[in-house]
Parts: sequence; structure tokens; C-alpha cells
Amino acid sequence: MASHDVEATAPVLLELQEITKRFPGVLANDRISLSVREGEIHALVGENGAGKTTLMNILYGLDQPDGGRVVWRGRAVVVRGPGTALRLGVGMVHQHFMLLPPFTVLENVILGAEPARAGVVALREARARVARLADQYGLDLDLDARVEALSVGEQQRVEILKALYRGAQLLILDEPTAVLVPQEVRELFRNLRRLRDQGRTIIFISHKLDEVLEIAGRITVLRRGRVIDTVEAPRAGPAMLAELMVGRPVLMNVSRSPAPPGAARLEVRGLSVEGAGGRLRVRDVSFSVRAGEIYAIAGVQGNGQTELVESIVGLRAAAAGRILVAGRDVTALSVAARRAAGLAHIPEDRHRLGLVLPMSARENLILGHHRRAAFTGGLLLDDRAVDRFAAARCREYDIRLAGRATPALALSGGNQQRLVVAREFAFTPIVLIAAQPTRGLDVGATEFVYRTLQRIKAQGLAVLLVSVDLEEVLALADRIAVLYNGRIAGEFRREDADAAALGLYMTGGGPPAEPAVP
Amino acid sequence: MRPGGLLLVQAATPMVAVFAGGLIASAIILAIHENPLRVFALMAAFNMQPSSVASILTSATPLIFAGLATAIGFRVNVFNIGVEGQYYVGAFAASLAAFGLRGVPAALHLTVIVAAAMLGGLLWVWVPAVLKRRRGAHEVITTIMMNYIAFNVVLYLLGLVRDRNLGSTARIRTPLFPPSAQMPRLTPLLNALGASIPSYSTLNWFLGIALALALVVWFWLRRSRFGYEVRAAALNAPAAEAAGINVAQIQFVMFLLSGAAAGLVGLSDLLGRTGYFDIDFPKGLGFLGISVALLARNDPLGVIPAALLFGYLDRGAEGIQAFASVPREVITILEAVIILAIVVAYEIMGRYVRALRKQEVA
Repeated sequence: MASHDVEATAPVLLELQEITKRFPGVLANDRISLSVREGEIHALVGENGAGKTTLMNILYGLDQPDGGRVVWRGRAVVVRGPGTALRLGVGMVHQHFMLLPPFTVLENVILGAEPARAGVVALREARARVARLADQYGLDLDLDARVEALSVGEQQRVEILKALYRGAQLLILDEPTAVLVPQEVRELFRNLRRLRDQGRTIIFISHKLDEVLEIAGRITVLRRGRVIDTVEAPRAGPAMLAELMVGRPVLMNVSRSPAPPGAARLEVRGLSVEGAGGRLRVRDVSFSVRAGEIYAIAGVQGNGQTELVESIVGLRAAAAGRILVAGRDVTALSVAARRAAGLAHIPEDRHRLGLVLPMSARENLILGHHRRAAFTGGLLLDDRAVDRFAAARCREYDIRLAGRATPALALSGGNQQRLVVAREFAFTPIVLIAAQPTRGLDVGATEFVYRTLQRIKAQGLAVLLVSVDLEEVLALADRIAVLYNGRIAGEFRREDADAAALGLYMTGGGPPAEPAVP
Repeated sequence: MRPGGLLLVQAATPMVAVFAGGLIASAIILAIHENPLRVFALMAAFNMQPSSVASILTSATPLIFAGLATAIGFRVNVFNIGVEGQYYVGAFAASLAAFGLRGVPAALHLTVIVAAAMLGGLLWVWVPAVLKRRRGAHEVITTIMMNYIAFNVVLYLLGLVRDRNLGSTARIRTPLFPPSAQMPRLTPLLNALGASIPSYSTLNWFLGIALALALVVWFWLRRSRFGYEVRAAALNAPAAEAAGINVAQIQFVMFLLSGAAAGLVGLSDLLGRTGYFDIDFPKGLGFLGISVALLARNDPLGVIPAALLFGYLDRGAEGIQAFASVPREVITILEAVIILAIVVAYEIMGRYVRALRKQEVA
């Protein structure tokens, strides 16, 4: 590979030497050394809590290291804040965009660095510069479009353009693909390659290994605050990287056990649901999930998944149709009554819907179960019963807590999800709704969720898996429905489904499909 | 930092605020050519006297009720600014039960009056609570409006029931309450225990009721199932909803309870001091209750020291006015500065705590 040979001889742009950062009780970065060559795409991978974000915050001046040096173009520098970083030529594209939605693309790009003549923004001059940059790097954007009207992928391009406009030689992208659909990821990768080919340097933070292998020249693996290894991408494979990240071999492919057809436990009949603003987001959807089956709803984010899930669990009223749990019509019941009827829910946004972050882990473990007889002594909560329950759950699901009062927000993402899973599997539910259950999780935690879903399926639960991750759907599901524009565009048995066909339905193509009988 | 350390930082915040308030008040005292140390020393000495202690406890009593009423609402993000109107209506309802009912034993009479006061507060909070629940009307607007209505409606009704046997005097007040409607004084008990409270003090058993209520509310919010739901609903409403907790209903219930507690604010004055309701019945206790709840960070037990602090400053203001010829407005400024300092200090501490927590997560 010619380009890699060129990179190997390219001068070193940035060198981090023995960077150490200590937080109370945690060694976030432990003597991290890393060198980034000019014109390479350098990936930084590691589980949640491995120290990636801390390291980049130090580089961008948001945190100061307790030890070590940052060397930029051969010169030791102190990065006091983002201002210093920008002057050096370090730009950051955050996971959550920092844009003003009502402003146009052009206004957002120049905001804070507007060229001015006599106090008046020189818009024409700015436009010419921005347009030239966008053109040079193939960033396809309408400069006069309002940012609020743009797709997530386009907004990300605005962020990249913003960094380039400020003269960034080194771009740091923090989990840039977490918010993108597959097509947008391809577009982003095209942009990144073009940036690299024209001499810009990129640090790409991720824990999606296949993407890292595709885009990066070299990959540095962090684990528990240390650099485990830096490898050349062509010599690495997903299994090897996963093992480096987690510290032990990881089972990437869960063996799927075939589902013996059981009785229908969740039945959705002719369901229509309105979204915000009164628009129908789910239209006449019917399906049923059987005991011992994982039924997956695939589709690109924003095709009605959120409304469908909220309606099934009782957070959003149905405009039409019926929902049955174990044969019982729950359409008119409250969330609490549906939970009592055997419905469990792993929400897609665990920070918003799954946890009360300031409350302790043990209090979060009984959320939704707190009215059960097991926890009540009269009007009061039985503290000892809660403690016993929480301790047992933490043991079974390997949730590590610093203390009894540890708030949920002090837990890692993986531990938070374990907590939600541990809670929702308690008191033997009949139907589990798992919405994006592995979003934001690292390899180890994802593996845990996959294995747990397989286990409860074997125990006879009916699982509705809603996921935008096609690989996840194909790895876990027994039957797959594709949700497109609020309708079920097609339903397949796993044996009859492949990524290409599902992808076609996900984008609105494909002939209307017959229902798949399990 | 461990959770214990965080708690310590949070607990220290009100003290930092009070200290900052003291500094700014010192600057004002300096500006009027007095020695702040001397003024504060005088205030401290004056407030040590038994009569002052009794006065502080007496003025803290309604503030504990007002602080509790406010905190109960604020705990679930219901900003009941209408404690003012609710206690005014509650006090008037109580006075109707006080002079309207005669020849019953004191225990029964007092119980009926307390119930009437709570019902009065409940009646006045009912309208904004229902408007919020059914129509989503914001409680800050509706409760403020209800305050204005309360004052004028009560004045009108007072005109209807006023004592007409007062001859030519211009006083407008209800008939005097019978002895069965008087709350017994705390003085005999405290003096028997060795205190030397002067006989003119109106310190009465509503102090005990206020303390007990604070304790009950605290325990109930901390340990009961409902209290658990209240905390979850306040800290993350969407997650509480997803767990089957009816957040709107909890807010509704707490809104009503806030109003019922507000009904009790005026009783200590009404049944322990005046013995009638007149057009000069004290106003403004509801608004002070907001300051008390703010200083207490909406903690039911924290309301007690917060109310005592305001009682302390109030009494101290009388002292320095009388003996140091420092106008009592200086203390009013001090109170206001403390409240401002609290808001600022909580914001700063909040940021600090968030930063610490972020580091814990990283």
C-alpha cells in the first residue's frame, strides 16, 4: 500500500509524551505516549472509560495534564485552552455539535472568526473563502441553508468546515459515526480520505472496529488509561483489536439458537401513532412476537421507531389499533399497569428514560419495581429488602459500585446499561422491549447485552429488538421487520434475510413483502 | 472525591452565602460610619437575651410553615409563588371557625380551626393546581394572580363578618375569638425547664407543631414509596414516567399539599397573639417563605435553621436600631444580599460539583 509507505516516512506532527492525568480515585491517563504523523488518519480505540476523551481534552486544552509533554511540530507546547489549540492548528469535532440551528451554514462557519471591515462583517469575502474550502475538500454543502434544516451528516460537515476555516491542520473527531446512518458514514469517510490526501491529519476516536479498520492508517488501542499497542491497520483484524481493547478474547459472533415457535406474547394490530406536532409517525403497523423469539425492527433512525416503542410501553397514546400482552389488551392501560402485566423496557436513551442519574444505583435498580409488595412495609419502602435486592442484582450482573450511595451518573456507560438490564430482567417479565440496547456501548458491554438477550430468549421471553444497527439485527433476530416511513416495508425470517436486501427496504426500495411466518 | 465530600461541599454552600452577605452588609455599615464588628457584636449580645430568644422563635414559627409550604412545591418543580395568598385565605377561614364556633372544648376547637386553615389554603391552591393539570397553565403566573384576588376577596368578606359592636372606632376586625380558640403558650413549659422568658412573649405551641411537621415531611419524603416517586419525578421526569410513575399526578398532589401547609402560616399570629383577624393581619410571610426554602435548598429539615436565621436577623434589626442607631434597613439589605449570595453560591457550587462528578465519570 503506497500511501502507507508515504505516511511511514512523513514527519511527526504531534507527539504526546508520557501524558498522565489523575482524577480523584481514577488514573485516567497513565503515561500515554503517542505520535501522529502528518497526513495520516490515526484511530484511537478503547472501551468507555479507557481514557480516550480525557487524552483529547488535554490535547484540546480543556484539561491540563498532571505530567508529560505535548510536542507540536517538534516543539514542546502548553495547551492552555481551546484558543491555544486553535492557534496551533488543532480542531475538534465534538460528538454533540456546537452549532446555532437558526443560522445558515455560512454564518455558523464564520461565527467567532468573521472577517470584518470597519466593524461590518465582510460577508462576500467570507463566502468566497468558505466556498473555496468546501470545494477543495469536497464538502458538499449549501452555504445558505439553515443548519436546523440539515441532516445530521450535513451538520457534521459544517463542523468539519468550521475547523478547517479556523486553520486546523489536525482534526480530532470524537465518535463521529455514532450519530450517522450507513450512507452518511460512507460520505464522511470519502471526505476524510480527501482531507488526508491533501495533507491534513486526523485523529479518529471510535469503538466501532470495522470502521476503524476501514479508515485508519494506524490504530492506537487504549485500555484503562494506558496505551496497549499501536498497530498498522492492514496488519490488524477486528478480533485482534477487540482482544487488545478488552484484555481477553471476545466472542464477536454470538451463536444464535433457533427459536421453537411459541405462543404470541406481544401482539400489535393496526397500530398508528402520532409524533410531535400531530403527524402520523407509525401507520397501521401489525406484527406479533412469540415466546422464545427475538423479533427485530430494523430501519434507519427516525422512521417511527421511537414512537412505536413509546406507544407499546404506554408513554404515547395510540391513534388507532390495539396492543396485546399475553393475550390481554393493554392499549388503554397506564405505563405502570403495562409493567405489572409483564412488559419490560430497555429504553433507547438510558440517560433520559432509563435512569435517574443523580439517584443512587440501588434506587435506580428498583425504579418501576418500587410499588411491588417485595419492597414495601406499609407506606414506607423497606430499605433492607431494597438493599438485598440491589446486592443480588449487582452480583448477578457484575455491576461494580464504589459504595451504597454511588449515584448512577458516576458509573461507566457499560455499567449503567448493565444496571438497566438487571432491573428490567427482574421479576420475570413476559415481553421485553429492547430499544437500541447497545448504543454507545463498547465491545465488552455489547457482548454482555447480546449474551443476556440470547439467554432470556432461551428462557421463553418474547423480545422485541428495535435497532438501527443492521449487524446487530442480523446477529440476534429470528424474524426481522423493516420499518420505513412508519410502515412495515417488509418482514423476513432470519434465514431469508441478508444485509443487501434489508438495506434496500430500509431506503424505501424493494417490492412489498409477504408476512414471514415463523 | 467521595460522595461524602460532595455532600460536605453542598452543605457548606448556605454558610458561604451567609458569610458573603455579612461581608457586604459590613461594607454598608462602614459606609454609614459605623463599626461593623461593633454592630454585629451588639446584635449578637442583644439576641442572647431571653426575651430576644423568645422573639426569634416566635417569628421563626410562621416562617417554618411558609418555608415548608414553598419547599414542598419546589421539590417537584412546582413553583408555588402563591403561599402568600393561600395563607391569607387560610388565616381568614381559620378565624371564621374561631369566632363562629363557641362552647366546644379547646382541643376540638383548635383541631377544627387548623382543619379550616388547611382547607382555606387548599381552596386557594386548587384553582392553579387544576389549571396546571388540565390546561398546562404555568403556576407562577396563576398563583401570583391568585395572591391579588386573595387579598381583596378576604377584605370584602371581612367587611361582611366584621364586629359591628366596636362603636365609633374605625377598626375593622372579626369578633374576638373565645378562649377555646387560643393556642396555649410555650412559656410555662420553657420557664419550668429553667428558661426565663418574659410573660409578654407570644411564643406558643405552633412552634412545636411546625417542628413536628418539618420532621414528618422530611421522613415521609425520604423513606416512603411516595417520597421515592417524588424524588424520581423531580430529578428526571421522563425516566419516572417510563417507570410508570405519574409525574403530573405527583406534581398535582404536592401542589395541593403545598397549599394546605400554606394555610397554617398565619395561625401562630392569629391564635397565639391577636385573637382576631383584622385588616392589618401580617402580609409578606409567604414571600419570606420562598427565601427560607431557597436557603434550605428545599430540604424540610433545612427549613428550620433557615427560618431561625431570618428570625434572628429580624430581632437583631430591632436591637441595632434601638441601641446602635443603625437603621433596620441595613438588616433588610443583609437579608436580601444573603438571598442573592445563595443563588450565586449555589450556581458556583453546582458547577463545581458537576465538574467533580464529570471527572469521576471520565
